[in-house]
Amino acid sequence: MGELSVKHLLGIKYLNEKDIQLIFETADHFKEVINRSIKKVPSLRDITIANIFFENSTRTKLSFELAEKRLSADVINFSAGQSSVKKGETLIDTVNNILSMKVDMVVMRHPNPGAGIFLARHVGASIVNAGDGAHEHPTQALLDSYSIRERLGDVAGKNVVIVGDILHSRVALSNIFALRLQGANVKVCGPKTLLPKYIESLGVGVETDLRKALNWCDVANMLRIQNERLDISYFPTTREYTQQFGVNKRLLDSLDKEIVIMHPGPINRGVEITTDVADSKQSIILDQVENGVAIRMAVIYLLASKIK
Amino acid sequence: MNILLKSAKIIDETQKDLHLKTRDILIKNGNIAKIAPNLSAEPETETVELDNLHVSLGWFDSSVSFGEPGFEERETIANGLSTAAKSGFTDIVLNPNAHPVPDSSSDIVFLKNAARGQVTNLYPLGSLTIKSEGVDLAELFDMKNSGAVGFYDYKSPLQNSNLLKIALQYSQNFDGLICSFPLDAKIAGKGIVNEGEVSTRLGLKGIPALSEELQLVRDLFILEYAGGKLHVPTISTATSVKLIAEAKKKGLNVTCSVAIHNLFYTDETLEDFDSSYKVMPPLRGANDVKALIQGVKEGTIDFVTSDHTPLNIEEKRVEFDNAAYGSLGLESAFGVLNQIFDTETAVDLLIKGRERFGIATPTIAEGAPACLALFNPDVEYTFGADDILSTSKNSMFLGSKLKGRAYGSISNGQLRR
Repeated sequence: MGELSVKHLLGIKYLNEKDIQLIFETADHFKEVINRSIKKVPSLRDITIANIFFENSTRTKLSFELAEKRLSADVINFSAGQSSVKKGETLIDTVNNILSMKVDMVVMRHPNPGAGIFLARHVGASIVNAGDGAHEHPTQALLDSYSIRERLGDVAGKNVVIVGDILHSRVALSNIFALRLQGANVKVCGPKTLLPKYIESLGVGVETDLRKALNWCDVANMLRIQNERLDISYFPTTREYTQQFGVNKRLLDSLDKEIVIMHPGPINRGVEITTDVADSKQSIILDQVENGVAIRMAVIYLLASKIK
Repeated sequence: MNILLKSAKIIDETQKDLHLKTRDILIKNGNIAKIAPNLSAEPETETVELDNLHVSLGWFDSSVSFGEPGFEERETIANGLSTAAKSGFTDIVLNPNAHPVPDSSSDIVFLKNAARGQVTNLYPLGSLTIKSEGVDLAELFDMKNSGAVGFYDYKSPLQNSNLLKIALQYSQNFDGLICSFPLDAKIAGKGIVNEGEVSTRLGLKGIPALSEELQLVRDLFILEYAGGKLHVPTISTATSVKLIAEAKKKGLNVTCSVAIHNLFYTDETLEDFDSSYKVMPPLRGANDVKALIQGVKEGTIDFVTSDHTPLNIEEKRVEFDNAAYGSLGLESAFGVLNQIFDTETAVDLLIKGRERFGIATPTIAEGAPACLALFNPDVEYTFGADDILSTSKNSMFLGSKLKGRAYGSISNGQLRR
């Protein structure tokens, strides 16, 4: 088996195409493992991993923890709410303290862009970025591409539209990097207030008409409106947002072709997608969650093999 | 103490007979006694012989921050002025960003006193408004009488347009200089770096060029209406250069400066989220840098500044979002400028700007007080930790290839190197 070109997973933009293929092939194997009756392999019995979350997370944290445990790694969890961070400890000190307890790998979510890169520069462990502000969320993008590959056979050449709040979204940014790297065509769609002014410099198209965007695409990745990140009002009301950028069954059925619906979760049902869309056969939302564990197992396994 | 400078190549375009000539310079009791080839040292004279020694008028910087009072751990006035002197600067304008901010006559007197006896002269700016809160004008006239050379709410944009109008009107009878930082805070929002391709790629919140230009346009309109003297510290965009040029064409009494790092780096340096490059105004794109350099060459931008901002490591060695804005600049100023421009231009830029703040411009002439920068313009080196003289070490130029280094300066009858 090959190895990754990187020591850390800090963002998709630091990976090459081969890395992604390697992660996918490894994830194929682990996906088979987690569907066995004994869902666990002993690969990382000598590895200790700290999940450090400076921002709330439910599914990403669970998914990482499950992935780590299914690889038989020792796992410790740490959330900012219960930590000395609130007492003024710096990020480097917090992590170095944890590393002194002989931790090999750190999975970190942090509200500031570049926090993982900063940490990788200053501490000695292997770092996995589980989301850093509006910068990257690489494992999410990997599992999204993996899920597209699973449903449509390939990512290359597919048309993917990412709908919603692109401005505050690390999922959007990582997805753009990942999809472009694999040869997909990408458009973003949303109100202009939530699209970065220079987004086209990343090689993506901009479409503000949702119907046009959906008719163009093979896959629509519906992002959540992150109310907690909106410091000012970018649109008048959620209701009005939904009128323009929400996907309902009627819209979906009226399209020229059957598209795939994705969502990184958690869903605001009735806002970006309606319940009947989320639960329709076109939706692969729950596949994404399942694939998330396999992808994270693959990433951790491959990075751990570089530690040894 | 008398000083004899041996074989000094003089850079002074205002004096045709001395410019680019190599001379010995004898300084007696603080004044230039003799400029001639081959002078011999009299008793009790310190002879200074340095490799490839060049001299010019002492350099001037219009935007320098230290930390005293309140942030002495960043920099003291004594070590700050010593750093300035060793870096070739004989006159600096001190930003009003100590704690408390200098917003009264006694604060200005404190700063002037703290700087007494140093090689480099300190000229303080007073805060424009009480506590720099942008609400009520401070006692500008009283501060001016105590030595304040201008009034500025340090890098804190004046949100109240009427306040700027009133400040410009009120300061006219005592010829006060009003400084206004060009940033529309609402448009800038929570931005921390230039809005552009790089910020998009990095997910960092952007400060649109618009936020600077909008505020600048407002300020220029207010200046046109109210009269008075306006200085715009540290512009950073191509359109700002254009706006200033148009304003000058109209005859408005406006000057502006640019930070040297905004002429040297683009926002591409942010790729690794290195907080050393976090400055306000932010490093902009290549087109802006090009326009700023052109603006400097054409004189639209009146003078350059190191925008020297010492900060503790604790304020920098944190996540990019949480890092403070600013970089050291005095130590690297000449080496950077001398990379961008030819030496004569670099020196010329470091001399300009005094008159705007009512500070006398010295001359190199027999009988005149000696106010000289000593430097070697040809030495090429990588700027390293050893080159930092400041108490804080937050230089964005660490690791950069620079050309030219100051040996020190002579002023107030002393040599500091």
